[in-house]
Amino acid sequence: MVEIRVDRDVCDGLGQCALVAPEVFALDDDERLVVAPEVPDGLAGKVAAAVRACPVRALVVEGA
Amino acid sequence: MVGAGLAGVRAAGSLRAEGFDGRLTVVSDERELPYDRPPLTKQVVAGTMTGDDIRLAGEAEFGARWIRGTGAVGLDRERRRVRLADGAELPYDGVVLAPGAKAREWPGAGVPDGVVTVRGLADVRRLRAEVAGGADEVVIVGAGFVGVELASSLSGLGVKVTLVEPFGAPLRALGGTVAEVVSEAAGRAGVALRLGVGVRGFAAAAGGRVRAVVLADGAEVSASLVVVAIGMVPATGWLVGSGLALPSGRIHCDERLFARAAGGAGGAGVADPAVVVAGDAAWCEAVRTAEGPVPLEHWSNAAAQGELAGRNLLAGPAAAEPYVHVPSFWTAAFGLRIRSVGLPGTGDREVVEAGSAAEGAVLVAHYRGERLVGAVSVNQGKLLPGYARRLN
Ligand SMILES: Cc1cc2nc3c(=O)[nH]c(=O)nc-3n(C[C@H](O)[C@H](O)[C@H](O)COP(=O)(O)OP(=O)(O)OC[C@H]3O[C@@H](n4cnc5c(N)ncnc54)[C@H](O)[C@@H]3O)c2cc1C
Repeated sequence: MVEIRVDRDVCDGLGQCALVAPEVFALDDDERLVVAPEVPDGLAGKVAAAVRACPVRALVVEGA
Repeated sequence: MVGAGLAGVRAAGSLRAEGFDGRLTVVSDERELPYDRPPLTKQVVAGTMTGDDIRLAGEAEFGARWIRGTGAVGLDRERRRVRLADGAELPYDGVVLAPGAKAREWPGAGVPDGVVTVRGLADVRRLRAEVAGGADEVVIVGAGFVGVELASSLSGLGVKVTLVEPFGAPLRALGGTVAEVVSEAAGRAGVALRLGVGVRGFAAAAGGRVRAVVLADGAEVSASLVVVAIGMVPATGWLVGSGLALPSGRIHCDERLFARAAGGAGGAGVADPAVVVAGDAAWCEAVRTAEGPVPLEHWSNAAAQGELAGRNLLAGPAAAEPYVHVPSFWTAAFGLRIRSVGLPGTGDREVVEAGSAAEGAVLVAHYRGERLVGAVSVNQGKLLPGYARRLN
């Protein structure tokens, strides 16, 4: 089970993660990050890529 | 590894992550440890972040030997050696070229004191010292993203800023609608815009320090400091003589990021299996329009290419993967959050598809004929993933 933690102090809503893994990450109307409660099967690789695509290193993935 | 910017750091990281346990040497002509550039003209100028906050890697990382403050001056691909400025030669089995770019200097002669460019941490420290030392009238020449971000950050510090853009509109590469929104917001922030007027040169005071920018029409805009922000030049002069293809100064690489040798008649020849390329200095066949490759000077590209370059170098050309990437860029100024996907600058028409320039929240799609080539958002970021998917 993959768990995603967002450091809200750091996240700037740049939305790069939402471009890489839109199944899991999205921005709301105020450009705040919204993360899906559960990561669909088979998306661990995409989520890892989204974490690396974050310019401010706001995302951490736990478990696998 | 030549160059320890974002692309170089990512390449080093992926080499190690993929299990490379051989010797790794990182060569950087900067003394500074690797750092991230996007915050430089935003938070670092504004004073809300310092050099420590933007560090990308420490010296202990990657189990590498670091050579800092000494640049590479030559690449001998036959003997597989990188030549350094101090005369040393580093043998290699594989080399990652990630030298990025330098700020383009003012092309004219006789540039007085107090006319600066901004690309690195040292430049921003100097800029802050100038402002702290009393530079209270700054003229910025060039309204690309560096110029616009600086105008925003400096005006936020209470500095009187004039932004001069010879080609007419700020952030012109993102299209006319965004330029309109940015101009409007800059005006509201008290930045004086001089659009569509060229710069002839600079006037200096008796001590040799700049006192004004002289416009093409002869008018003078007084300045205690001038920032020239007219783009960047790939840092590849040292590769002339390497036999690599260097179209418009960038390192030509195939779609797997292996550098191509120069072919006959200015064309490109075979790829060198020991040389990979990443970041602002790359001219990659995988990033292209119908007319050919286009260079990208964006964070997301440097990060993604760096990672793949490390992996592909280790895998070798036969097992290497092609670079697949939807370009993505962001900038922030005057309270506007601006993002783009794709290559908006390559379109032939733009269409407002959500919001409006007047609201300061707008989504502009860029088309070439009927085909979507890019999209730009101002404060409408939630819509971009849908466009990115269509560009894939
Ligand atoms: C002020 C600023 C703000 C930016 N803001 C944004 C933004 O908001 N969003 C965005 O998407 N992008 C932004 N960018 C662009 C982004 O930072 C770059 O795309 C990225 O830094 C490119 O990384 P790189 O590793 O290719 O090159 P660089 O970061 O330029 O790193 C290359 C390194 O190699 C060194 N080097 C050069 N030549 C040699 C040599 N011969 N020997 C040894 N070392 C050498 C250089 O000194 C440098 O340290 C910004 C850039 C700047 C300058």
